[in-house]
Amino acid sequence: MIAASLNTYLVLSALLFAIGFLGVLIRRNTLVIFMGLELMLVASTLALVAFSRFNGTNDGNVFVFFILTVAAAEVAVGLAIIVALFRKRQTIEVDQLNTLKN
Amino acid sequence: MTMLQHAIIALLLPLASAALIALFLRRAHNIAATLSVIAATIVAAFSIHLALSNQRFETSLEWLRLGEFSLSLGIKFDDLAALMLVIVGIVGLCVHVFSLGYLRDDPSRARYFGGLSIFMFSMIGITLADNLFMMFIFWELVGYSSYALIGHWYDRPSASAAAKKAFIVNRVGDFGFLLGIIMCYWVNGTVSLTELSQGNAIASTAIPLLLFCGAVGKSAQMPLQVWLPDAMEGPTPVSALIHAATMVAAGIYMLCRINALMVPDALNVIMWVGTVTALYAALCAIVQSDIKKVLAYSTLSQLGYMVAAFGLGSLVVSHDADGARHSVLLAAGVGAAMFHLTTHAFFKALMFLGSGSVIHGCHHEQDIFKMGGLAKKMPLTFVTFTIGVAAIIGFPFLSGFFSKDAILLLAYEKNTAVFAILAFVAVLTALYMVRLWKITFLGAPRSEHAEHAHEGGLTLTAPLVVLAVLSVLGGYTAFYPNVFSGVFALVPVAHGAAHTVILVTSIVVMTVGALAALFLYKPAATDSLEQKSPGTFNALVALRNSFDAAYDYYVAKVQQRFAMLLNFLEQIFLAGLIIRGLAGVVGLFGLGARALHVGKLNVYVYWFLGGAVALWLFATGVL
Repeated sequence: MIAASLNTYLVLSALLFAIGFLGVLIRRNTLVIFMGLELMLVASTLALVAFSRFNGTNDGNVFVFFILTVAAAEVAVGLAIIVALFRKRQTIEVDQLNTLKN
Repeated sequence: MTMLQHAIIALLLPLASAALIALFLRRAHNIAATLSVIAATIVAAFSIHLALSNQRFETSLEWLRLGEFSLSLGIKFDDLAALMLVIVGIVGLCVHVFSLGYLRDDPSRARYFGGLSIFMFSMIGITLADNLFMMFIFWELVGYSSYALIGHWYDRPSASAAAKKAFIVNRVGDFGFLLGIIMCYWVNGTVSLTELSQGNAIASTAIPLLLFCGAVGKSAQMPLQVWLPDAMEGPTPVSALIHAATMVAAGIYMLCRINALMVPDALNVIMWVGTVTALYAALCAIVQSDIKKVLAYSTLSQLGYMVAAFGLGSLVVSHDADGARHSVLLAAGVGAAMFHLTTHAFFKALMFLGSGSVIHGCHHEQDIFKMGGLAKKMPLTFVTFTIGVAAIIGFPFLSGFFSKDAILLLAYEKNTAVFAILAFVAVLTALYMVRLWKITFLGAPRSEHAEHAHEGGLTLTAPLVVLAVLSVLGGYTAFYPNVFSGVFALVPVAHGAAHTVILVTSIVVMTVGALAALFLYKPAATDSLEQKSPGTFNALVALRNSFDAAYDYYVAKVQQRFAMLLNFLEQIFLAGLIIRGLAGVVGLFGLGARALHVGKLNVYVYWFLGGAVALWLFATGVL
């Protein structure tokens, strides 16, 4: 079995981050944008775990725990907002959520 | 009770009275009047008691400290202050009592008596102040009380205009005074009167002249004399107290307080300002037809006398002692000025109150050509007014005779030109005072009001009698207890040839002036001078109007246009370019920022991306 190097993990992490970011940029559905955001978060945790593993320290691992906790809370709040939005406006398309401008 | 406590009570009692009236008694006219008169009575009693106690003291406490700079409040009670305090106390009491009768039917008596009380407080403050800053504070307060009392009948446009004029003209002089105080502090490091008089003040011409500006404003010397004649719009007792006896004399008092700072150049200027004022005002007084205006110009003229006396300065007096001749430098200017200030306070307050009695008797008629024949209608006023006239023209053995002689002697010893002018002014004084006296009191009544003139009640006549007695006795230095020796020892006394010259001069000028008036004027409805010599009359009227015309021209044509120019520049540059310009720039920014607000979430994310890229470029050092 070929042991993966640090760079492999980092490239994977960057790819995941870019995919997530593109999702946020391109998609119009709030739920999908939200998923893109989560993907970016996970990409960064992957990089942190990889750093932790290859540097032999636990700093990155500890960070990951915090990020997971915060992400769980954020998902709860974010999804609740999206549900509330849908109830109020019957849509979650960002193009139609522009009352501040018009 | 110590003397210091007496002094503090004499200072604060009128303030308490004024505060009570202002806060609680604005409609309770009789209570307010009584309170104010009681305060004035206690002040008069305390001031005499303080003066006679023969205790002289000084005290001060720090009031405010700003870094190195400290302001103190204190009392300096020496012979000079004692004399001034007694004058203020006695004349103040007479005027308070007179006001009770004079303003009996006035609908806003409470405000009037409150004003009198605040004036008494401020004037006593000037008298007792131990440093120039404290004096300045009270200096402004008398200016305020003068403003409030001149404008007592504020519904008359002329009265409110006169009040404003007095305040603004005084402001000009006070600005110089303040500059002088600041410069004195800067140069000498102190403004305490005692420390300044200890002889180590740095000699400077600018400081005394700037301080003199304050006296020019308050004592209405040239060229700021224009406010005093207009101030006669105030009630007559106010004219007697503020614009004859005390406040306008504060300028001379202040000069005497800072005598140690004087240098010959400054004294020269002061002497000439006083002399010219005395002459100018005496010429103006000849053509006035309003009884109070004559007295106002006469006050101006006498104030000029006092200022000139102060400006004449010190005299070297030699006397024999222990078989050897000693020469002593005597501050004769201070002595002569304060002596004349004292006698003038009594006889001029007497004449103003007398004119108030006349005006009250004639139902507020002030034109002397509509009076006449009042000698029979108002005998007591006539007698006391006659004493006042005799005193001011220097009739022998009345108070003015002695004090005027002291000034003439000083002028004779020091400066012949000034002596000649002052002697001529004495002729004019006799002329216009006898003219006033003859036209007002002699002949037949020339109007309905004069026909029905009558003597007022006791409150109107009693102060006249008191002041008449003082006008007779006030000239005898022996009359004053020894407690004022610090001032009266400085009064120059003539000996030998000088004595004869002065005596003859003073009697001749008085006789010439009085006889000229008696022959020239007759109690008629028109001015004899105007009929016999219209040219002279018109020239004098033009002279009288010249200053007001000049100031009007200056304000309307020069100052107003300059202000309009400034306004124009302000509109163009300040309001137009800077203020509107700045608003325009901010608006442009707003316009740009508004374009970024598109309302699409994705666009904001692109902005975010752009920001992140920029941050990255910045962090890596590309930017």
